Amino acid sequence: MTNNKDNRPVTREDFPSGAPVNISRRRFLLASAGATAGALVLGFGLPIGPARAAQGSEQITPGTRVPAFLEIRPDNTIRLQSPFVEGGQGVFTAMAQIVGEELDADPESFVVEVAPAGSDYLLINNKIRITGGSNSVRSSYSTMRKLGASARLMLLQAAAGRLNVPIAQLKTEPGYVINTSSGEKVSYGSLAKDALDLSVPDGNSVELRDPSTFRWIGKPLKRLDILDKSTGKAIYSIDCTVEGMVQAAVQHAPRLGLDVGRILNEADVSAMKGVMSVHRLPGAVAVVAERWWNAKIAAEALQVEWVKRDDKDAKYRYMPDDFSSAAFSDRLANEESKGITAEEEGDVNSALSDAATVVEATYRNQFLHHGQLEPPSTLARFNEDGSLDIWMPNQAPEQFQSTIAKITGLEASQINIHSPMLGGFFGRHFLYPEANPFPQAIQLAKEVGRPVKVIWSREEEFLRDPLRPMAAVRFRGGLDADGMPVAIEAISATEGPTESLTGHNPDSLDPLALEGLTGKTYAIADRRIAQVYVKTPAMLAYWRSVGHSMNDFFYETFLDELADKGSQDPYELRLKLLKDNKRLTHLLKAVGELSGGWKRGPFTAEDGTTRARGVGMASPFGSETAAIAEVSMKNGQVIVHDIWEAIDPGSIVNPAIIEAQVKSAAALGLSQILMEEVIYEKGEPAARNYDLYPILRPDQMPNVHVRVVESGAKMGGVGEPGLPPVLPAVANAVSTLTGQRVREMPLRKLRLES
Amino acid sequence: MKKSLLTVLGVIVVGAAGAAWIATRAPSSSFDAVAASGAPSDDLLAHGEYVARLADCVACHTTPEGKPFAGGLKMGTPLGAIFTTNITPDPETGIGNYSLADFDRAIRHGVAADGHRLYPAMPYPSYEKMSDDDVKALYAYFMSDVEPVVQANKASEIEWPLNMRWPLAFWNVVFTDGGVYQAKTSKDEMWNRGAYLVQGPGHCGSCHTPRGVVMNEKALDESGPEYLSGAVLDGWYAPSLRNDPNVGLGRWSEDDIYAYLKNGRNQHGVVFGSMVEAFNNSTQFMTDNDLKSIAHYLKSLPANAESTDVAWSYDPATADDLSKDVADNVPGARTYAANCAFCHGRDGRGKNEWIPPLAGVSSMLTPQAESAINVTLNGSMRVVSNGVPDAYRMPPYREHLSDQQMADVLTYARSAWGNTGDAVTAEEVAKLRSHTDPASIDVIILQMR
Amino acid sequence: MKLSINNEVHDVEADGDTPLLWVIRDNLGLTGTKYGCGLAQCGACSVMVDGVVTRSCVTPIDSVEGREITTIEAIENDPVGKRVVEKWVEYQVPQCGYCQSGQVMAATALLRETQNPTEDDVAAAMVNLCRCGTYNAIHAAVKDLAGEKGGA
Ligand code: FES
Ligand code: FES
Repeated sequence: MTNNKDNRPVTREDFPSGAPVNISRRRFLLASAGATAGALVLGFGLPIGPARAAQGSEQITPGTRVPAFLEIRPDNTIRLQSPFVEGGQGVFTAMAQIVGEELDADPESFVVEVAPAGSDYLLINNKIRITGGSNSVRSSYSTMRKLGASARLMLLQAAAGRLNVPIAQLKTEPGYVINTSSGEKVSYGSLAKDALDLSVPDGNSVELRDPSTFRWIGKPLKRLDILDKSTGKAIYSIDCTVEGMVQAAVQHAPRLGLDVGRILNEADVSAMKGVMSVHRLPGAVAVVAERWWNAKIAAEALQVEWVKRDDKDAKYRYMPDDFSSAAFSDRLANEESKGITAEEEGDVNSALSDAATVVEATYRNQFLHHGQLEPPSTLARFNEDGSLDIWMPNQAPEQFQSTIAKITGLEASQINIHSPMLGGFFGRHFLYPEANPFPQAIQLAKEVGRPVKVIWSREEEFLRDPLRPMAAVRFRGGLDADGMPVAIEAISATEGPTESLTGHNPDSLDPLALEGLTGKTYAIADRRIAQVYVKTPAMLAYWRSVGHSMNDFFYETFLDELADKGSQDPYELRLKLLKDNKRLTHLLKAVGELSGGWKRGPFTAEDGTTRARGVGMASPFGSETAAIAEVSMKNGQVIVHDIWEAIDPGSIVNPAIIEAQVKSAAALGLSQILMEEVIYEKGEPAARNYDLYPILRPDQMPNVHVRVVESGAKMGGVGEPGLPPVLPAVANAVSTLTGQRVREMPLRKLRLES
Repeated sequence: MKKSLLTVLGVIVVGAAGAAWIATRAPSSSFDAVAASGAPSDDLLAHGEYVARLADCVACHTTPEGKPFAGGLKMGTPLGAIFTTNITPDPETGIGNYSLADFDRAIRHGVAADGHRLYPAMPYPSYEKMSDDDVKALYAYFMSDVEPVVQANKASEIEWPLNMRWPLAFWNVVFTDGGVYQAKTSKDEMWNRGAYLVQGPGHCGSCHTPRGVVMNEKALDESGPEYLSGAVLDGWYAPSLRNDPNVGLGRWSEDDIYAYLKNGRNQHGVVFGSMVEAFNNSTQFMTDNDLKSIAHYLKSLPANAESTDVAWSYDPATADDLSKDVADNVPGARTYAANCAFCHGRDGRGKNEWIPPLAGVSSMLTPQAESAINVTLNGSMRVVSNGVPDAYRMPPYREHLSDQQMADVLTYARSAWGNTGDAVTAEEVAKLRSHTDPASIDVIILQMR
Repeated sequence: MKLSINNEVHDVEADGDTPLLWVIRDNLGLTGTKYGCGLAQCGACSVMVDGVVTRSCVTPIDSVEGREITTIEAIENDPVGKRVVEKWVEYQVPQCGYCQSGQVMAATALLRETQNPTEDDVAAAMVNLCRCGTYNAIHAAVKDLAGEKGGA
């Protein structure tokens, strides 16, 4: 259906050109990124144009070309193209801190936005860029420092030319170059144009600041985006608007792998108020209208006969109509194979047969939604010159760009990816087959000949949101005569998120499937960690802390089970097993201290409730974390009162942001262990909104106390590591309180008596 | 329920043993002597389709995934589940071989063409009142305008001995009225049309009239004081349609009733529970005249016999209380504020006719709390008016509120704003929770063609 | 239909049952008010109607005719709202920020109604969801505000 409402042919006038009509420039800058935004900027300092023009034509070392990242304006504000997307993790502020430190410019004078797609920004191993894996700061830290230092050097050189003095006679203070002999001050803004003509110095040769003189790095600077986010001015994908835009709502097929057959009431729906047109999309129907609400009601009203989708090279998984998450969990738990070894030390079998006690248990988890509060949307606009502007939530602009190039036949350089603020992501906004609305927006924009914004209702989102993987882990643990663990075997029946997306390779393992079972540093001599690959009928995804989001729960609760069997205190046992590991011993002691000294309980609290504490640890994303939780029970429900958590990310950029991230991760972890669970029956999710998929509420939030430990080790991640240790800490506390081992999540499923 | 039914059926069986012929005799039909006629006229077919709407055949004989009238809908009964049958004109699996007289026997007497008795989940005690003209038209419609579908019927899950259907013959002798609706000359035409629709094809009593020990409706017309006086069925309390000011329609005008049946909503409330199906598939398709007749007839019914109600009036104190100290001390008040007030208002008045009030509605005034509990646990189905789904739906709260919290919040709402419903206990909530499921959020339009 | 939003009367063309949320966002272009669930579950769409916090996704526009609607765009014109925003910045509350328009609205409405709310009042009023888990920060900011005497 390629006609607009009144059936006239699509003409040139139907393609509006020009900039988005967002009101203020400030808002505009937040709303979009890249070249289109540049056109609106009045005072050019360091233009970003070349970054795009040069794309693909020469070998670019990512992160070296200053003009692709920085624009210093006459008013001395600095526009920074961040390689990473801001979704609440504070990366814009961190980038401004790092670059500002070396550039010698106050981070508060920065306006940060997401860089467009382009090879300049492939900072992770000089190959890719994703905002995920808690990678942003640690992968770009030294590059961004060098970038700032190079820019400073260029400004100094420009000033030397302007003032006609040797460079040695110049110094900088934030935003200015100073002539030390005359005291003359020249603003960066006024030098930027000259600096632009200079070649960029080799970042490896520029001098970097001595960390002991850092003014901003390592300090709890206030975030740059807080005021806008407190006053509704921050612009997310769902808010983006361009001239001449229409809106679309979709109704997805109830299961992946179905396609549109007959539409029984197409004429009636086409005649509904505000409706412009009805469209058939792969696996969905859509309604286009001037106003989204009209489109949404009409899309819901469509009575569609769904038929099997004829799609031979489908990348997605056909959802079988008998898929049941409960049955699938049972299937995983009943796997008997020994699996493929991922990590092995010693000889676990003989160690187990020599052990004084052998403990066996099977642990399970659940599927999860991302549940980010902003439902997915995409705005697509084809321009007169054939290029495409597209605004959408995404954690990896280049990946989306190349996929869009394939879909549309356009060159990558014709596709401008705009990456607005993310209203939460947690892994949701990677490229997942059939789970992002951009192909729909592109098709609709073509069909109606106008820019189209597609918004998925929450219900449509929960129907297509790919899930955090499910596993069942069979543990065997051996204790010596003193009750000390001497052997551990974990065989996980599961599928990793990466192998689910790129295909399972029988000869290699998806490391993300087992991380958290693997990588444990306890001194248990004989161990074997293995995977039994079981393909999941549902589409899978990365979810905050990925494999760690479940595996540390399995391992650390089983470790407590071993402690129980061996009559050991779980905290003391961990200290013993870590006694040769200074970093972790320190961390565990730090969290114990933070909690006022380890006490397991059960004990009676001041308010008369009976409580207990549990501990858990994790080594995720290059950082180390440990948590202690205090719980009580009321009417069979778990109440978490306090969480104490220590994190050691090696070295740090902004401790306030780290603390906020740990609290955030703790909340998401708690939400998972307490209540979250995606249930599928007959191939369909039971919950389509937060009504049947509750997430953590304010009254369920404990006080989270954070200690940031800076051990000086290699810099690790921050956004995700706070999550994994919280789950076992809570579960272990509940086990202590109830005397009943917790071997599955979420806790609300279990009938717990205290 | 199951036990008492067994006993009663047993008594009937033994007591009637000597009269076995009743059980095997096929009831006579007024069409027995009528020969098959030629092709039906368009008018007759249109009339027949309208009667199908009045009788809401589609609601039970079509599933959302299935073909029109192919049956297969699972119905829970106290005896076990039964499945509705294929009533398309397929000769093998449907009713294609039915003569008009066979059809009539099924509709009005509860006997299938092969002689087996239908369970009274099929409302033949009501349909018995349908006129010959309506039955004839309905037959023509099913035979000519409904697509034949090959779909075998599913056996019921009722176990022996209750699955023996022949005792139902005695049930019929005792509990059906015996005859087509007879107009009352003392009443005007509108009243008579309304009475016919309500008692006959509309079968309102199936839900709204209390049932006796063997599931019989206690009255089939206004001569019985319990007729349409409100009943619990399938986890819902269908309120009284008599003129009680609180538990019935006493405060509703004829226009209010008309609007409710036509649009699914009025100032007093929005259809919910099983009434959504009756509205989505039946009442909204009725002519204005028929709807007004129904309203007229219902308003002529007196209040419930045992009704001693003082008419509800709004008490504004609650809304003030909610934000003040009382909220701390009334269990359920905080829960109401955090979960319910955003839609139904602190004042309990809802939002125009789009979101129903809780102040003064029957579900908050009746002693029976099933509907209030059920809709809170499970939400409500989408109301689809004229092909357009509702803008607002009641979400299920079963995953958010514990039995006790739900009992507290309902107890609060049933006593706030002048409401006089009884307190709700956690046990009542638990019981309904265990055997109900959340309402579907799909926009379900059951197709008749 | 005439709607008074942020002290300005707008002539709005939409059906009476249209949710206020979509009229605010689409017809008027005020995108600070967010859509999260459309089902009164999350609170991202909170606005004030005559000073009372209201979830605009479940508010048909014909139910707020003639009443004063305040959206986040005008929050700093309200003296209480201004203080709330200041504390939100001081406590660095937002993360992704998507829920925060609604959180600020809820806090403002609470403090307009009760100058010194108790812990229970706060718990009862601050019920909006935040997937980023900023609850501790929200709580600290509101507690600070609640402790101040003589607010506007
Ligand atoms: S969008 Fe209104 S409460 Fe969630
Ligand atoms: S700040 Fe992200 S949802 Fe609250």
